[in-house]
Amino acid sequence: MATLETQQLDEIIVKTRRKMLTMGGAALAALAFGGTTKAEAQAPTTTPDQDILNFALNLEYLEAQFYNLAVSGVTIDQLPTPIPVAVNGGTAGTVTVKPSPKVPFVSSIVAAYAAETATEEGKHVLFLQKALGSVAVSMPDINLLDSFNALANLAGIGTSFDPFASDQNFLIGAYIFEDVGVSAYHGAAPLISDKTGILPAAVGIHAVEAYHAGLIRTVISAYDGGVSTGPLSTITQAISAARSTLANPDPKNPITTPFTTFAGLTADDQGVQTTPVSLNGSSTSPAFTASTIGDTDLNALGWSRNTTQILAIVTGNPATATAFTGGFFPSGLNGTIS
Amino acid sequence: MEKKLNDLIDKALSRRQFLAGAGTTAAAALVVGCNSSTTTPSPTPTPTPTPLNLPDNDILNFALNLEYLEAEFYLYAATGSGLSTADALAGAGTTIVPPNTVAVPWATPAQAQFAAELAQTELDHVRYLQGAITANSGTPVARPAIDFTFFGPLAAAATIVASPTFNPFADPNSFLVGAFTFEDVGVTAYSGAAPLLISNILLSGAAGIQATEAYHAGSVRTQIAGGAANSGDATFLNYANKISALRATLGGGNETQLSLSSIVAADPTNAIGFSRTTDQVLHIVYGTGGGAGVSKGGFFPNGLNGKITTTAS
Repeated sequence: MATLETQQLDEIIVKTRRKMLTMGGAALAALAFGGTTKAEAQAPTTTPDQDILNFALNLEYLEAQFYNLAVSGVTIDQLPTPIPVAVNGGTAGTVTVKPSPKVPFVSSIVAAYAAETATEEGKHVLFLQKALGSVAVSMPDINLLDSFNALANLAGIGTSFDPFASDQNFLIGAYIFEDVGVSAYHGAAPLISDKTGILPAAVGIHAVEAYHAGLIRTVISAYDGGVSTGPLSTITQAISAARSTLANPDPKNPITTPFTTFAGLTADDQGVQTTPVSLNGSSTSPAFTASTIGDTDLNALGWSRNTTQILAIVTGNPATATAFTGGFFPSGLNGTIS
Repeated sequence: MEKKLNDLIDKALSRRQFLAGAGTTAAAALVVGCNSSTTTPSPTPTPTPTPLNLPDNDILNFALNLEYLEAEFYLYAATGSGLSTADALAGAGTTIVPPNTVAVPWATPAQAQFAAELAQTELDHVRYLQGAITANSGTPVARPAIDFTFFGPLAAAATIVASPTFNPFADPNSFLVGAFTFEDVGVTAYSGAAPLLISNILLSGAAGIQATEAYHAGSVRTQIAGGAANSGDATFLNYANKISALRATLGGGNETQLSLSSIVAADPTNAIGFSRTTDQVLHIVYGTGGGAGVSKGGFFPNGLNGKITTTAS
């Protein structure tokens, strides 16, 4: 039932975008992206899409390395089907990790989750490299050893933490990354100027990060039997508090969104816990207790973090810092947003 | 000038995809047709200055209908009753549930807590969207008529054998299958709608809801696949996958069969989450395939409220 408007729109689209439309998703993104850089000068106040995608690529390098090391014991460039870490003539950084990081998985279920996530984060690296083409950055230095120890200190859960030691430790390691990925893509989405070529892909990756995060938080909750004071849940609460402390306050971006979690804490992050809810608000209803599988605010929306806040978390610096090196990225990120 | 034209074309493309619901497939088909007749080029149409995008409020009201559906479902599951009169707004339609529906008889506190989280978060989404539409100078639609007895025919259509009266409120596992029916659809609907929003503030809000839907979808899928692995009983995993197959038939593919090694629903080539047009979402929630002109059915016996109610493809 094509209306007059759709017919007219079809003609406009066909006349102008036929080349793009015959191409695949990644190529489409790359073309749209290339067109933007060549044909249009970006306004100085906006962040070019390529900078945002390269920022995301740094984070995907980190996640892909963590999961693949946990599953296979080797870095992504050493996999049977290698994923490039040095692109466009650049030099790849080094990955610092303990010897033999392959996790001795006991639960076949956790092992299956790890394998799936490793594969999917690797695909995100490849997708972004392809979408960015000649301007994709190489992998920066990544530290998966001292970073976890420092974070453990900061979160008050001990002087050292080895995410590759056991099923449970691996889940905590994964927990550290996934919610951050969700908030990073959320924060980046409104900054993307190409709303037809690139934004849908960013939104799609955002969803996958949240699927992963939901998976991880569900398994952690299950290990503790849904008891919010359980050992793993307690650690997630400490990590979430540490992430919120690092990311806030951000002097460049005063807090404008509700800075209250679904569970009522003053923070932009919540661990795996429980919280009382009133549900349909009937005065005759008994009190209900809800889990916090979603890491959300008081409106039940996922968190949005800007690039400065993400840099603060992944480098272990406060958002007020002037340089962001350390933590998981000892030499900082590659690209313009660093 | 070139940028303005590009922007206009971008908007036209979004608008066309949104109206037709077939995404780039339809446009690509048109392109192919065009390429095959390049010897007789047709005159270039003059772009009109008419605003081409759907108003943000129409998109948000479309989403609000879906949030009413989810909130109503989870509230019944958690408490045995649905949205309050105040939350459903004046003129709300009625909700049909299976006879004698009460809160699902949970087997563990964790199950009850998860249902309560889903109920409260979807209720929060209803309220958030109502507020966002009002703040954007629009009028939020009331809850449309909803029919949860449609789960029976849906299960039959999905060939879930021996379950012609499938009731998602009957037990915790059936509830998970009911939740599975909605959550992935919510994720894909927001993936499709978010990039169409003109306001970056509203885009961020939609992305925030999308994240929550995906957190929950990831959890539901994990619980179904993990439950089957732990118990050695794949009954409800098979149910979920039959629902998934039916959604694929109605909603343009965009499904990943669930297994222990395949929790996430995403494009297998690049691990990017699926996106659905409003037409594809409507076909699923109306439980009716086919092309243009489907305006009601399934979970919405009187159709959605608002401007986006009828399939265009």
